[in-house]
Amino acid sequence: MTLGSTTIKGNLRPKFTKEEAAFVKQELAEQIDRYKKIVAEQEALTPQREKWVKEFLERIQSRGFHVHAGMKRTIPKSEIRPRDGRPLQVIF
Amino acid sequence: MPRPHIEPFVDRDVGFKKLGLPGFKKGIQYKMLSMDKENGSCTMTVQYDAGFKQPPGFSYSEMELFIMEGHLMIGGKRCEKGTYIFAPAGTSLPAFSTDEGALGLIFYNFGPPSFQESDADHQNADKSQQRKMISSYDGLDWQVPTLFPQTAPGCLLKILHLDPKTFGMTFLYCMVPGFWQDNISYHDVAEEAYHIWGTSWMMQFGDLPTGGYFYRPAYINHGCFKSDLGILAIGRTDGDLHNYFHHDPFSSPEENHHRAAAKLARMKPALYQWILTNEHNHLPHDFEFPDDTYSTEGYDSGIHMHDDGTSHAHKANGAHSHLNTPKVSKKKSKK
Repeated sequence: MTLGSTTIKGNLRPKFTKEEAAFVKQELAEQIDRYKKIVAEQEALTPQREKWVKEFLERIQSRGFHVHAGMKRTIPKSEIRPRDGRPLQVIF
Repeated sequence: MPRPHIEPFVDRDVGFKKLGLPGFKKGIQYKMLSMDKENGSCTMTVQYDAGFKQPPGFSYSEMELFIMEGHLMIGGKRCEKGTYIFAPAGTSLPAFSTDEGALGLIFYNFGPPSFQESDADHQNADKSQQRKMISSYDGLDWQVPTLFPQTAPGCLLKILHLDPKTFGMTFLYCMVPGFWQDNISYHDVAEEAYHIWGTSWMMQFGDLPTGGYFYRPAYINHGCFKSDLGILAIGRTDGDLHNYFHHDPFSSPEENHHRAAAKLARMKPALYQWILTNEHNHLPHDFEFPDDTYSTEGYDSGIHMHDDGTSHAHKANGAHSHLNTPKVSKKKSKK
């Protein structure tokens, strides 16, 4: 698979035609708007996400953490890394 | 970063647009899911209107198509939903038509959408991979993933395409009803997926329903996961998929990247040391794919210099030594 690759072997016409250049320009502009909308939506979800994270950290100390397939391990509190003010950023 | 982090995006929330690029016939509509800002490669939901017809032809870019609803007649063969098509760049596909219409997912892997009418392959068509057409719903069995560490029980795969060089893959995956996986995951590779049917939940983003899509660059945390009623989805990666599991919801992509490198040093110490000690300033050589790093035409054509001042030349068979190699000026060096 070639997601995001810039290798030209899989493209026999790497230079855009005039129409392709206009198409790509338009779509990339819309993609920026889409990205901004997602960032705003995910920012609004932060309070709910904080609850989900708290529940996850509680669950892995009781029900267990999936190490591999069905193999689970209960995580002791001492292994939970302190947050130390780190943000809960999810979109990069 | 060739494509931005698009997650989550639900294509049901936006309308179709007509695809008006030269070469394409009337009757194709699309929704753009993600696009590479450097080369225009992209992933789109695509609708072929009822009555659509397209003559034989090829794409200038490698292309993949998955039929999600309806059917397409391709070269006289009825292709139902679940059909997956892989076409290397410049490889001619037979005529398309549909009476009832079809909904698909299309991937242009190296460039923007293109169609050139032709009943023959382009003279420079990529012959390193073969065109394929798979009936994935009834022609392939679900597999338990052979990735280590594995996803939790109840996540199954059907591999549609595996890139022989990178091990990047296109695959169907499902989560059975009641699936849950309590860990956080990231990978060394970019990953994208589209929900053909069903809703799953992820700790970072909440519910991803039918029509939900994401493109996620490497080293970004995702999970834990669950699905109450199950899902069917199509996913892709641009390289070998290794699951890095952990339980720190606040780790950054940079920290995850460092952790992955530390794991490599622990899991493959000989390889890690070899990479460090030879001070290579180019990709390591692969006798299977020598053209990736040096020319094999003639003994001297592969002369190049390393960062430590040593140089060497490659023989046509790829053999070389770092000992007693002639010094060459950096002018002649070849990266």
